[in-house]
Amino acid sequence: MREPYDAVVVGAGHNGLVAAAYLARAGLRTLALERRPVVGGAAVTEEVFPGFRFSVASYVVSLLRPEIIRDLDLPRHGLHLLPLDGTFTPLHDDYLWRTNDHARTRRELRRWSRRDAEAYEEYGVLMLQMARLVKPLLSVVPPDPGRADPREWLPLLGFGRRFLALPERLRAAFVQLMTMSAADFLWQWFETDPLVATMAASGIIGTFQGVRSPGTAYVLLHHYMGEIDGAFRAWGLPRGGTGAVSEAIAAAAREAGAEVRTEAPVARVLLRGGRAAGVVLESGEEVPARAVLSSLDPRRTLLGLLEPGTLPPEFEAAVRRYRLRGSSGKVNLALDGLPEFSCRPNREGTEHLRGAISISPSVDYLEEAYADAREGRFSRRPYVDIVIPTLVDPSLAPPGKHVMSCFVQYAPYDLDPSLGGWDRQREAFGDAVVGAMAEFAPNLPDLVLHRQVLTPLDLEREFGLSEGNIFHGELALDQLFWARPVPGWARYRTPVPGLWLCGSGTHPGGGIMGAPGRNAALQVLRSLRRGGR
Amino acid sequence: MAREVSGRGGYDAAVVGAGHNGLVAAASLARAGLRVLVLERRDRVGGCADTSELAPGVRGPTLAHSVERLSPRVVEELDLGRYGFAAVEPPVSVFAPHPDGSAVVLERDLQATVGRLRGRSRRDAEALPPFDRRVRALASFVRHLHAAVPPDLGRPGRQDLLTLLRLGRALRRLGPRAARELLRVLPMAVADLVEEAFEDDALRAVIALPGVLLTSMGPRSAGTAAVLLAAAADAGAGALGRVAVPLGGPGALARALEEAARSHGAEVRTGAEVVAVTTDGERATGVALATGEEVRAGAVLSAVDPRRTLLELVDPSVLGPTLRWRAEHIRATGSVAKVNLALRGLPRFPAAGEEGQRLLRGRILLAPDLRAVERAARACLQGRLPDRPVLEATVPTLSDPSLAPEGGHVLSVLVQYVPYRLREGEWDRQREALGDLALGLLEECAPGLSSLVTARQVLTPVDLERGYGLTGGHPLHAEPGLDQFFAWRPLLGQASYRLAVRGLYLCGAGAHPGGGVTGWPGRNAARVVLADLRRR
Repeated sequence: MREPYDAVVVGAGHNGLVAAAYLARAGLRTLALERRPVVGGAAVTEEVFPGFRFSVASYVVSLLRPEIIRDLDLPRHGLHLLPLDGTFTPLHDDYLWRTNDHARTRRELRRWSRRDAEAYEEYGVLMLQMARLVKPLLSVVPPDPGRADPREWLPLLGFGRRFLALPERLRAAFVQLMTMSAADFLWQWFETDPLVATMAASGIIGTFQGVRSPGTAYVLLHHYMGEIDGAFRAWGLPRGGTGAVSEAIAAAAREAGAEVRTEAPVARVLLRGGRAAGVVLESGEEVPARAVLSSLDPRRTLLGLLEPGTLPPEFEAAVRRYRLRGSSGKVNLALDGLPEFSCRPNREGTEHLRGAISISPSVDYLEEAYADAREGRFSRRPYVDIVIPTLVDPSLAPPGKHVMSCFVQYAPYDLDPSLGGWDRQREAFGDAVVGAMAEFAPNLPDLVLHRQVLTPLDLEREFGLSEGNIFHGELALDQLFWARPVPGWARYRTPVPGLWLCGSGTHPGGGIMGAPGRNAALQVLRSLRRGGR
Repeated sequence: MAREVSGRGGYDAAVVGAGHNGLVAAASLARAGLRVLVLERRDRVGGCADTSELAPGVRGPTLAHSVERLSPRVVEELDLGRYGFAAVEPPVSVFAPHPDGSAVVLERDLQATVGRLRGRSRRDAEALPPFDRRVRALASFVRHLHAAVPPDLGRPGRQDLLTLLRLGRALRRLGPRAARELLRVLPMAVADLVEEAFEDDALRAVIALPGVLLTSMGPRSAGTAAVLLAAAADAGAGALGRVAVPLGGPGALARALEEAARSHGAEVRTGAEVVAVTTDGERATGVALATGEEVRAGAVLSAVDPRRTLLELVDPSVLGPTLRWRAEHIRATGSVAKVNLALRGLPRFPAAGEEGQRLLRGRILLAPDLRAVERAARACLQGRLPDRPVLEATVPTLSDPSLAPEGGHVLSVLVQYVPYRLREGEWDRQREALGDLALGLLEECAPGLSSLVTARQVLTPVDLERGYGLTGGHPLHAEPGLDQFFAWRPLLGQASYRLAVRGLYLCGAGAHPGGGVTGWPGRNAARVVLADLRRR
């Protein structure tokens, strides 16, 4: 038998790779195993159509933790983030366009509401303060609320102090962010419907909730925590697509001594004496290891990689009730040219297309989209978050051509049975998405050279995301922090000694953040140093 | 303008609003020896605990119709039984008929309910007792919460730390498993909670409904599980709930509270509208009435909703712009309407079969499944009257025949997910359409009901606002969402019953723990007032 690895990581998505890199840097013999032929998981760039390369699933970066970029020296490994400036919301006879140029955005908002223009600054400052308050929590290992172990609670002391030091108004705002609906939260500041709708939309990404559902304000904050080069709330596109992020992390991991094997699907966790002792590949090959970290979602890891009966029944029941409920789809288009929005013709310049383009004309529009999902249909007029990365990174398509990435909500994983399943609805869904955009950009359908439609079912099949949930589980209040994925089991451990979770289904959740991978790796290292499990 | 100052040395405490919470506060303070004056705008006490004469000789509950959440501690401390308060508790909690003739029935008795459920789903019948135990365990902690004065999270004092310590201990007594479960469940959507336990859609809706009743939230809203636990904590009846029909109508409860307050020396004045809380800039000095009269008082307790209290009764310069802005954003948009019917006979629900009389004594619930309830809630959010609102009805005359002449009955129907602000049209023109809609839905389950109606009263959310001073028509004074909960109900920093300016207190449902006819806010506020007076 071979010398066992110190650690084997299941899944080479960005979190798995981050975990592997940290473990290898600490001197552990580490192996990352990936089922697909490429690393990256959902953060991947693939040439879907000849000459056209797409960030197939995940499409922007903002949440990647700066300490990870620093520790792993990612820029040296090829990570280069191109700024993605602004959000353009087309309407039928007008538009709303916000950019990082404050003076310009203020002027633009004034067209809509003088009050909103004033409030926008104030709101920006508030969210910055909130993000600062919460960010240190991203690297905290959540305590078990059922235990009063001071060592677990100590890291929260600093947070408590900072919270109490805030003025009452900000303490109140924090509580609201943790509990309110995104729309209710925003309506306190703003009255312009497309503005509230577009801002609130980031509160529903990846959740099976509407902008008026309590709890979505938190997702708003989650997305606000993004940081590139120290600037909050700046989105970025990695040159070469999101796969470039994964490539850079993989390069860092390899340099530190980790091995990364692709096309090596893991069938199950190898158990010896009740402990995880490695993994068994689908090929039958056994890979022994002292610690197993899974970056797959909690359901796939704990119910899919373990023999039935391995887990304590109560824990298993808790894993079964963990909600994934995918609600998003992705449509990738290869275009013959740039789309032209009727409300702002391209002869006036195409700068407005360089940022995010948001199909979110009103709160009602988003609520109607959600109503469809609740009835078990994809939204007939969906919310679409569009990026045209070729405008900042032309290398992704042949000259003059473009790729367009469309993130879509809602696309419920569980369709009403009368619809006959996603395999029969895929193209109808694609049509609805293109149709929703064509309402504002009538030339779009004619520009489409190729179209890739990814339903939640496709996301599950292709990327192993259970129920197509892009965050490995809903970012709902009862599935966050010490309850992610199971209350009392948010410290990256599992009831199986030696088996750890390191994916987005653990604190602090999804997005190309890397924090779960890093936090988990640090916990594993601490545990191994103690010689414990 | 001539200003008359009444009361020689003034009062120790003036209570604004003689709803049940105002009266509980007044009675508690008077009982402790304070000189108390209660001022009520309307011509009678009770606020939402009110009885209407629907037709000559026929009386029924105007708004609230079941008082199972009234704190037993309040009933005991104020000896309400002595002043004529009594309630009847029928053996059936819920009868939820469907137009197809089937029904979900929850009995007060767990085993009897399990027996009934077996016919629908064996699995659910087996899941009910453990679910009920769980709800009871979690509710036992919430009961501690309800009796507590929320700590001031900004400047925690000794008392606040003690409260937190006590709650911490209560949590530890629950044990680690239940503590984890509590923290998981509190922020959940009640729909998710019941879907984890039960498979029958009709049963899920019935069990989940207390989590949304009287709120504007649908069952898929985070935080509605906490509302369910709060209801269970107050009613003390686990997942099954119970009904308590006050004898003589809810107005009788108000009169018993008034009597209790008076017997301890409190004065109660009706037809006395308070228009302002007077201050000397630093503390509340009393109240001013619409007549120009001023009443001096050492403490002012407002049982009026927090928005009205802060925005209309308190001088804006005392409030300051930030608190005013925050008060403007207290969420208090109601979704509840009432349709009260006088009937010449008992309606026949085919789904009740031979047991008609018995099953109709509990809550009659028209809420077919979670999807339908959520759909209605979402329509309401968008300002549309849903095609199928949720109905929760009682027939108080089955428990208290004195309310109507021989053979006559009253059907008290709460209609939920009725928008306060209609997207199209206005309520004064659509009041009767709402009555027809409710009657039509009931008719589906009780054919022939319409022909029994001899009189009807329809109260829209706007009528609730106008008639009872409920801002936004919200019967709970402020939405019981997680954002307006415990230490931040109605606002963070204003949740310890002390409000805005020294000497002013909030004692109505807009304060912790809120929630219909409970008496908790009134009782807790009185304790805070007494503690503050002792300290001075």
